[in-house]
Amino acid sequence: MQKQQHTKTNSDTIRTIVVVGGGSAGWIAAARLAAKGARGSDDIVVKLVESATVPTIGVGEGTWPTMRNTLAKIGIGETEFLRSCDAAFKQGARFVGWKDGSPGDAYYHPLNPPAGAADLNLSPHWQQVVAQSPDRDFADWVDFQQALCDAGLAPKTITAPEYGGVANYAYHLDAGKFATLLREHAVDRLGVEHVIGDVTDVVMADNGDIASLQLADGGSVAGDLFIDCTGFAARLIGKVYGVPFRRCNDILFADRAIAMQVPYPDENTPITSHTVSTASDAGWIWDIGLWARRGTGYVYSSAHIDDDAAEAALRAYVGPQAEHLSTRRISIEAGHRERFWQNNCVAVGLSAGFLEPLEASALMLVEASMDAIADRLPRTRGAMDTAARQFNESFHHHWERIIEFLKLHYAITKRTDTAFWRDNAAPGSIPDALKERLELWRQHPPAPQDFAHAREVFSWPSYQYVLHGMGFETQYPAVAASSPDAVLARRWVGRIERMRGDAVAQMPSHRTLLRAIREHGLQAV
Amino acid sequence: MSRIVPLDATRHHAVCIDAMAGAAARQFVQIGLSEIALAAADMPLFLVKDAQTGRFNLIALFGLIEQRNLFWQHGGMQSTYLPRAASLTAFRLDPAGEGGVGLDEGDPAVGRQGERLFAPDRLPSPFLTTTRTALDSVIADVAAAQALIDGYAQHRLIRPLSLVLRHDDGHEHAITGLYGVDEEGLAALDDTTVVALHRTDRLAPAAVMAASLAQVERLRQLHNAAQLRPLASFQLAFEG
Repeated sequence: MQKQQHTKTNSDTIRTIVVVGGGSAGWIAAARLAAKGARGSDDIVVKLVESATVPTIGVGEGTWPTMRNTLAKIGIGETEFLRSCDAAFKQGARFVGWKDGSPGDAYYHPLNPPAGAADLNLSPHWQQVVAQSPDRDFADWVDFQQALCDAGLAPKTITAPEYGGVANYAYHLDAGKFATLLREHAVDRLGVEHVIGDVTDVVMADNGDIASLQLADGGSVAGDLFIDCTGFAARLIGKVYGVPFRRCNDILFADRAIAMQVPYPDENTPITSHTVSTASDAGWIWDIGLWARRGTGYVYSSAHIDDDAAEAALRAYVGPQAEHLSTRRISIEAGHRERFWQNNCVAVGLSAGFLEPLEASALMLVEASMDAIADRLPRTRGAMDTAARQFNESFHHHWERIIEFLKLHYAITKRTDTAFWRDNAAPGSIPDALKERLELWRQHPPAPQDFAHAREVFSWPSYQYVLHGMGFETQYPAVAASSPDAVLARRWVGRIERMRGDAVAQMPSHRTLLRAIREHGLQAV
Repeated sequence: MSRIVPLDATRHHAVCIDAMAGAAARQFVQIGLSEIALAAADMPLFLVKDAQTGRFNLIALFGLIEQRNLFWQHGGMQSTYLPRAASLTAFRLDPAGEGGVGLDEGDPAVGRQGERLFAPDRLPSPFLTTTRTALDSVIADVAAAQALIDGYAQHRLIRPLSLVLRHDDGHEHAITGLYGVDEEGLAALDDTTVVALHRTDRLAPAAVMAASLAQVERLRQLHNAAQLRPLASFQLAFEG
C-alpha cells in the first residue's frame, strides 16, 4: 500500500466510480451505476477492473423476485436475459425432510405472500384449520402458488409482459452466462470502461481514502468511489482496510459445498419451477432447474461429515446419472464484515460476506446494496461518510436478520437423527433475538411489529411460511367463527381457491413457456 | 365452438358457405397491412396478443360486450368496408385438407345455405378455388401487418389500453387485453427513426391506427342502436 500526496476534500464531486471484480456482483454494480448515469441523472464515469488471472466463483444461481426490477433498471429485457443465461422461473422453495425427516415431510416457501396479507393475519385461523386437518399445508391453504409448483406449471403465460406474471417469481440462472450478459450490456450499451488487469497495489490519499489502483501492467486507475467486488479475496475492504470479518459459524454450521451440474435426460424433461432443498445428514442438498441442465449441490458442515462422504451423499441423491459427472468443491466461510462501507470503499457481494444459499440471499444482497448506493449516490465526498454510516447500519441489520431467518429453518426442526441436526437445535447455537421471537411466536402470530425496519429482507409472511411449514406449535387465542376476522379469512381462502383453479387451468407447463419464450419472445408490455 | 378439420370432399361435399353469416357473428377480425386505412374508416383498430406466441395481432373491432358484429344490422353490413378475413371465418390453411384448406365446422358460415364447396362430382367448386386464393392473400397481408407491428414493438410504441364501458345505470364493463400505438411515444422518436419509418411506409399506419380509436364511439352508438343494454359512455386510455 502506498501513501502519496493525494489530497481529497469534502467538496470533491463523486464522478468516477471504480468497481473491482468481474463476477456477477461486479457487473451488477457497474451496470446499475452506469444505467443511472445513462439516463442523464448523474454525470458519472464507471470503470470495472477485472483480473485476467483470478477466476470468478461462478455459483449463485438462484435469485429473488427483486432481480426482475434490477434487470429492468439496468435495461436488460426479460427475453434476452432468459435466453442468454439459460434461465428458468423460480416460484419459491420446497423444503424436503426439514421438519422431522419422516416420509413425505416437505413444505413450500412460495414467493407469493399469503392471501390478504395487507388485510389480515391468517396464522390464528390456520391454527384452527390444522388442528382439524393435520395433513393440510399452510402454503397451499393461503396461496395458489404451491399448486403451480406441484403441477410443474409456469408463473405466467406467453401473453404476459416482460417481468410481469400471474404469480410472483424469481429466476434460476447460469452464473457464468449471467456475468457475460451483464458485461456485454454494461460495456456495449451503458458505456462502462472495462479494464483488464491485476491490482498490485493501492495508492491512498491523505484522508485514508483510496486514490487509485496500481495494475500489474504499470497502469493505474483513479477513482472517487471504489466498489469492492473481489469475492472472498476482499482485496480492498479486507486487505487494504483490514475491516474484521465477523464469523457466524457458531450459528450456521455449513462450511463446505460440493456442486454438480446434471444434464436433463431429454429435451422434454419437465423443468421444476422451484428450488428443492432436501435435508441430509450434515446439511442439505440444493436442486434447481435451468433451461439446459439442473444445478445440484450439497451444503454441509465439515465438522459433521467428511468431504468424500458428502460427495457420496450428493451422488446418491442424483442417482445413476451422477456416475460420469464431475463435482466442484467450494469452501464457505459464513459471516460478514463488521463494516461494509469504509472511507470511499464499499464491499458488495462475497467480499461483504457469505451465508449458505438456503434462501438465495447472495445476489439479493448485491442488488439491495446497489439500490442503496446507486439510488442515493453521494454527490460529494462530504456526503459520503453519512451515506456510509446509514449503509453500515442498514446492512448490519439485514445480515443479522438473514442469519436469524436461515437459522430458523434449523432451530425448530424435530430431527434428532444426526449430530448436525441435534447441534443445530441446541439453544446455545440460536441467537438470543431469535429465541425471544420464537417464544413470542408461540403466543402471537408473526406480525410487522416484530421487526424494526419497514422494509425487512425477510418480512413476517416469510416467517409464517417457515414456522407453519415446519409445524411450529402455537397457542394463539381461538377466533370465533362469527367474528369479522373469521369472515374475512374465509372470504380470502375462498378467493384463493378460485385463483388456484384459474391459475392451474391457464398456466402452461414451465418447459412449454420457456420454449415459447425462446422461440417467440415476451412482449415488453 | 370451433371444430377445425381438414377439408374433405366426402365429408363436406354437401356443405355450403354463407360468408356473411360468419361475418355477422364475429366480434373482431384480424386485418392485413393493406386494410389499415380502409378499416379505420369504420372500426377501431387494436392490437391483441396471440395466445400461442404472445405476438401482437392487428384487429378491427366489430363489437363491444356481446360476441357479435355490431355493424351487421338489418341484414347487412352498415360499414363502408368489410375486412377480408370477415368473409373467410370458416377457413384455415391446412396442408392435410382438400386444396390445402381446413374447415371450422362450428363456424356460423358453415351450413346448407350459400356457396357449395364441392361440385356434384365432388371436385372443388370455383368458389373453393377462389376462397383458397383469397385465404393466401389475406394470410400474406396479415403477416405483413405483423411485421409492421413487430417493428412498433421494437421501438416500444405499443402500450396497453384500458377500455371501460359505462351503462346507463352506472354499471361498468372493462375490456382487457387491448393494446394500441402510443402517439406520445411516436412523437418522442428521434428524427432518424421517424424518417426511417416514413421512408419505409411505417409511419402513416401508426397515425391511422391511433386515430382509429375514435371509432369506439361509433361502436357505442351501434351498440345502443341494436337495442342492447344501453351504454352511456366509455373511457379509453393508455395504462400506466
